[in-house]
Amino acid sequence: MSEDGHHPAAMSPVEQRVAVLEALLTERGLVPEGFIEEITRRYELEIGPMNGAKVVARAWIDPQYKQRLLAEGTAAIAELGFGGLEGDHMVVVENTAAVHNVIVCTLCSCYPWPVLGLPPAWYKDPPYRARMVREPRTLLAEMGCHLPEDVEIRVWDSSAEVRYLVLPQRPPGTEGMTEPELAGLVTRDSMIGVARL
Amino acid sequence: MSGQLSLSDLDLPRRNGELAFDAPWQSRVFALAAAVVDYAFGGDREPFRQQLISAIAAEPDRPYWESWTAALEALVETLPEPPTS
Repeated sequence: MSEDGHHPAAMSPVEQRVAVLEALLTERGLVPEGFIEEITRRYELEIGPMNGAKVVARAWIDPQYKQRLLAEGTAAIAELGFGGLEGDHMVVVENTAAVHNVIVCTLCSCYPWPVLGLPPAWYKDPPYRARMVREPRTLLAEMGCHLPEDVEIRVWDSSAEVRYLVLPQRPPGTEGMTEPELAGLVTRDSMIGVARL
Repeated sequence: MSGQLSLSDLDLPRRNGELAFDAPWQSRVFALAAAVVDYAFGGDREPFRQQLISAIAAEPDRPYWESWTAALEALVETLPEPPTS
């Protein structure tokens, strides 16, 4: 690694630690050729909130799909071709006029990777993880999501087994839109539950 | 190691205004953990997750991917020594 022109002298301590890990794990045969590049490529290009947006749009236009999605999230999401890492036990929670759902992982940063990709920085930070449980209404308002007092907020703490995805409410005035157009309206934050559409 | 060069040179796409990874080492350590989960633990993520929880609890303000790195280091410590040939 020191001869590939990658300026090892400029490596930070954590970069050096990662390089040591990579060398050790490669030596033990645990990192197949091209594995790192393939994982990275998939998470950079193929796996992200656009996947979740397709799930949401389908649920908006197809009541039977929505029913399956709410009853058995993992299987319904797999119908659209999404699954894999961190997507074994998906539970989809539906926003309504009376209930607003939001997801958090208080212990680490569990997140529904197959449908949302990697979590944003703030999702992994201690303030979000602590405050979303303690004072969700206040924190949501600070994040720009102002909810009427009579809307119940349900906070879903991801666990070892379950990954949650919020099904946002379909915005009014979108009745004539196609499924791809609808998917284009769905944001990552609305599927975490820190925004409304 | 040409993969490292090409990766670090990539112009990474943004998702909702944020990069998925802030630096190439973050994507590498992310993928390394995935490799260990897959090839050393048969796809069971729980051992890594427990290490990540401990690493974050130990230093709550440490940057996330550094905690991730510490968790992977701790997990690798628990792996049996490879057979010597």
